[in-house]
Amino acid sequence: MIETRNISKSFGGQQVLKNVTTAFQKGKTNLIIGRSGSGKTVLLKCILGLHEVDEGEIFYDGRDFTKMNEKSRKKLRQEIGMVFQGGALFDSLTVEENVQFPLDFFTTQTPKEKEERVNFCLEHVNISNANNLYPSEISGGMQKRVAIARAIALNPRYLFCDEPNSGLDPETATVIDKLIQEITKEFNITTIINTHDMNSVIEIGESVLFISNGEKCWEGTKDEILKTNNKTLNEFIFANKLYAKLKESS
Amino acid sequence: MKFLYNIGRYFAMLGKVFSKPEKTRLYIRQLFYEIESLGIDSVGIIIVLSLFVGGIMTIQYAYSMSNPIYPVELIGLGTRDTLLLEFSSTIMALIMAGKIGSNITSEIGSMKVTEQIDSLEIMGVNSASYLILPKIIAVVFIFPFLYVLSVFFGLIGGLITGPAVGVITMPDYISGIIWLFEPYYVTFSIIKSLFFGFIIASVPAYFGYYVQGGALEVGKASTKAVVNTNILILLTDLILTRLLLT
Repeated sequence: MIETRNISKSFGGQQVLKNVTTAFQKGKTNLIIGRSGSGKTVLLKCILGLHEVDEGEIFYDGRDFTKMNEKSRKKLRQEIGMVFQGGALFDSLTVEENVQFPLDFFTTQTPKEKEERVNFCLEHVNISNANNLYPSEISGGMQKRVAIARAIALNPRYLFCDEPNSGLDPETATVIDKLIQEITKEFNITTIINTHDMNSVIEIGESVLFISNGEKCWEGTKDEILKTNNKTLNEFIFANKLYAKLKESS
Repeated sequence: MKFLYNIGRYFAMLGKVFSKPEKTRLYIRQLFYEIESLGIDSVGIIIVLSLFVGGIMTIQYAYSMSNPIYPVELIGLGTRDTLLLEFSSTIMALIMAGKIGSNITSEIGSMKVTEQIDSLEIMGVNSASYLILPKIIAVVFIFPFLYVLSVFFGLIGGLITGPAVGVITMPDYISGIIWLFEPYYVTFSIIKSLFFGFIIASVPAYFGYYVQGGALEVGKASTKAVVNTNILILLTDLILTRLLLT
């Protein structure tokens, strides 16, 4: 489980996060949603330590991340897998080398063991016959799947996904969502997904945190979200007529 | 103020770059890759430029020394000393700042804007060290070799062009390039090339590592990197010449 307690962050005098307190449960897909510029990416980067918080605390299964020195943070980061919005695969490495990269750096496995692990991860994300291709030679959906394979290569306890299905067609986006949910369940990890895609919320939103203007505005599940009376949340979700009709019918 | 901020951040980055590598074997693998892509791949352009410049300098020296009062060996001597002291070290470094420097800035800058550097950091890899250290070592290591290569092909350029256009005979040219040879000039220029190699790798890496935005900003950062690298090379040249040659 990952907890944040009253975390705040400002950039150049402008407060982007205001006293955000929440908990992300293990074995569940935890979604952070909000408008563009609402502070959800900053929240994710603060939890990851890419931005230092001004105030507050972050706990990874009880371990205070904000008080850790750089060495301890580095060690903890080996328990983290991250899927970036654009995949962030290394352009100069093949699919196989990308997935193997964390294994090369942080394990003492033999080449044979690494190869088996890479193939296991790629099979898990349904990729075959692409081991020797470069990221520029595969589709956006495949790049996301390779990024997921790389993220799970070290058996992470925590998985972070920053808008994992942005730029993908609805069908592929659903596949990616389902894949992340399956991995979360199978490996019993704490998964945090940053998104503004309502399809993802409806599909895999086991726990949803809505951020507005840098503050926690609402928290609940995908079932509760359709019944909420929170005005700001309703404006965000039901801006889409399809979801407005869905609410009416429910 | 911004100037001081950049200097401070540059040295802070170097602090990260020269910290202990996580896995030396991977750094060595990366080092060989960089020696090939930044060094070996520059050999062709060094040879072509040096051949031409050596030839042009020989013709120009012949033209300015056409008075019979000057010994004809001065043509070879002038070409040699210009290559040894300035062209093959400083001018070649300025040219390489454009080729290698912009390559480093755009590579690291692209990795930055596509979140590949964040990805390394989240994995627990010291991204500055992993990406920049092998480049610095590779360029510093390869630069003296490129210098020697440039001098050699510059002299060959003169040897081919001078007799071909009829401004000097081959024996006169050869006796000129061995006349009053001062070995310290080579030592001096190799010392310079070590400094230039460090500047050419580290300054563009700094501009790439801290770029923010998208492709447009990466392009702007490359331009800034080349301009700043060139200024630093000339400043370093001035200081080293004053310290080592007077």
